[in-house]
Amino acid sequence: MNAVIEARGLSKVFHTTVRRPGLGGALRSLVSPERVAKVAVRDVDFRVGKGELLALLGPNGAGKSTTIKMLTGILTPTSGEALVAGVVPHRDRERNAHNIGAVFGQRTQLWWDLPARESFAILRDIYGVPEDRYRERIAEFDGLLELSEFWDTRVRHLSLGQRVRCDLAASLLHDPPVVFLDEPTIGMDVVVKEQVRRFLRHQVEERERTVLLTTHDMTEVARLAERVVLINHGRIVLDGPLQEIRRRFGGTWQIRATLADAADLQEIERQERFAVGDGSCGSDGSGQGRGSVRGDRPDGSAGPGGSAGPGGPFGGQRDLSSLPGFAGIGVLRREGPRVVFGPVGDGAPSVHEALKVVIGRFQVTDLALEENDLEDVMRSAYLSDVPGQGALAPEGSSSSPSSFSSPSSDPSAPSDPSASSDSSSSAAVTSTSQGG
Amino acid sequence: MTTPSSSPSTPTPSTPTPSTTTPSTSAGPTASVRGVRAARVVWRITKLNFKARLEYRGEFLMGVAIGAIWQVSIIVFATVLLTRFPGLGGWSSSDVLLIASMRMLAHGLYVLFLGRIQYMNVLVQEGIVDPCLIRPMPVYRQVQLAFFPVNAIGDLVVAVGLFAAALQRSSLDWTAGRIVYVVAGVLGGMLVEAALFTALAAAAFHFPATSYWAQWLEELMGTFGSYPLSILPKAASAAFTFVVPLAFIAYFPAGVLTGHGDDMGVPRALAVAAPFVGLVAFVLSRLLWNWSLSRYTGVNG
Repeated sequence: MNAVIEARGLSKVFHTTVRRPGLGGALRSLVSPERVAKVAVRDVDFRVGKGELLALLGPNGAGKSTTIKMLTGILTPTSGEALVAGVVPHRDRERNAHNIGAVFGQRTQLWWDLPARESFAILRDIYGVPEDRYRERIAEFDGLLELSEFWDTRVRHLSLGQRVRCDLAASLLHDPPVVFLDEPTIGMDVVVKEQVRRFLRHQVEERERTVLLTTHDMTEVARLAERVVLINHGRIVLDGPLQEIRRRFGGTWQIRATLADAADLQEIERQERFAVGDGSCGSDGSGQGRGSVRGDRPDGSAGPGGSAGPGGPFGGQRDLSSLPGFAGIGVLRREGPRVVFGPVGDGAPSVHEALKVVIGRFQVTDLALEENDLEDVMRSAYLSDVPGQGALAPEGSSSSPSSFSSPSSDPSAPSDPSASSDSSSSAAVTSTSQGG
Repeated sequence: MTTPSSSPSTPTPSTPTPSTTTPSTSAGPTASVRGVRAARVVWRITKLNFKARLEYRGEFLMGVAIGAIWQVSIIVFATVLLTRFPGLGGWSSSDVLLIASMRMLAHGLYVLFLGRIQYMNVLVQEGIVDPCLIRPMPVYRQVQLAFFPVNAIGDLVVAVGLFAAALQRSSLDWTAGRIVYVVAGVLGGMLVEAALFTALAAAAFHFPATSYWAQWLEELMGTFGSYPLSILPKAASAAFTFVVPLAFIAYFPAGVLTGHGDDMGVPRALAVAAPFVGLVAFVLSRLLWNWSLSRYTGVNG
């Protein structure tokens, strides 16, 4: 792959002083400050190819913005190397500037006191964009983002959503091959968000720009990202397609079907008998309904092996893989003609694929689908301390190998009636976040 | 699109801009062309900034007024000096007036051209520095283009008036050499002031509290920069020469012009070289500032 963005062992350490508590402590700190090194990003490695959109995900303070700042050249890495469009960003800032566009949703890059359109004109001059191309691009951006409704208003008076749209246009005026977007849909209503997503897709698909994006909006991730890099505590936890996150952090599904044909039921029964039902006690406890990701336990802690989903992708389901097409599909529960199918093993199919197989094989009279939504999956991923790339897990969670080969030994699978309550865990998300 | 890792500087049809604008490519425009282009960009941005300030009419007029009113104490002093006293510390009142007016002119020009550096701490905290780092223009220049200093208009109006008065009262023979030197002196004074604030701004990247130091420095220059420092005790005038070198702003060049070259407490050559000292100080402060920028760690991590 010809990487356009490349991070090699990128690390950033900030040195700060710790304040001791109380007035006495503050005075002591004044005389002899206690310096601490805070590792914001450690050994981050990834590559993004041309025309690829990569979403950088992670909880607040995980190191996403710091990573972007190193890749844009705003920050100098403590160690490791960044290479963006063949340029080391912090070493050759001006050349790098022509290659990249960037939007930091929380802070504008436009001139606060000028109408947005005049900021565009300034940027045209700074980047030396020829007049005809400038007009062309402005017209294109206006067509996609409807900027002309408000671009004669001073940036100071724009709403956040309007301002960020202007920032987006401004970042692309010089036609950069690489674009960094730090929370580009912050403060936008649903209609505008969709507009911006279309705009970004257009930039990637039609203009072949390479985009690195951070966001907390999971719909956005699902709509835009082909690939995600999950970062937590400054380290990469996962790098792969979104499906991979679903699989590793409890993105599970269930197909509840009522089978009409008694022969089908017998067939299933026969299969179950052949399949070894090891640890079957855990299987019935597996997620009763949506949102029952493990991290949802009221105490918010992700327990040992907390990365596996409800009942895990394994967990003693009765495997149907000897039926043709049923690789990765198993039976979670069965009650008369009502059968609940679920994923089994590492190569489990998606709910849509499984549905096709189930309907194709059996006569189904009634059907219901359940799938964890991405937010639940991400919550579980953020709360889990599963080490990627050799990270250390905090005490209390025995670090399970990232290959997830043995989650069946999971003792915490029993169903907890409160486990499916979504609201009980939201506070826990913030408690794990770190500043900086 | 480029295939950057293999040929970073090779532009392709869909990204035509870098080829014509990237200064670091070997086929880029010559230095003079780039200089003209840069000056034109600076001029355009300044015009827009000026227009932006004009739109708030009341604020604009107040800005001009405060610039003028700020200098009122100097004007009162000058009036009292000219009407009540024959001179000050061996300097005739018209000579003292030349110091005061040169300093004020240098200060007005500093505010107009380089004064934004004084707001560095605010610009850092507002996150204005971060986007500057990803635009193809020197960060220092972008800081100067952050807004238009309306108060400089008031400063300069008063300064030009006072300078005209000083020239009118001066008994000097204004030869071409003296005219050149007075211009160099004023520009040098501007650079000394800019150097002091730029050095402070280098610290502002890391310590926002430098704003108090900047206020103190401005106060100090306003108070002591306009008088012949020979009236002060030796230690004080030495401090104002070598520690906070405000003697170089107007006192030395005005003294050289009015024939006080040998009684200013420093070798005559050093006093004569004041404009050059200003230039050197500014270059050094810029190097310090650049070094500090390279160690910038950004706001909110």
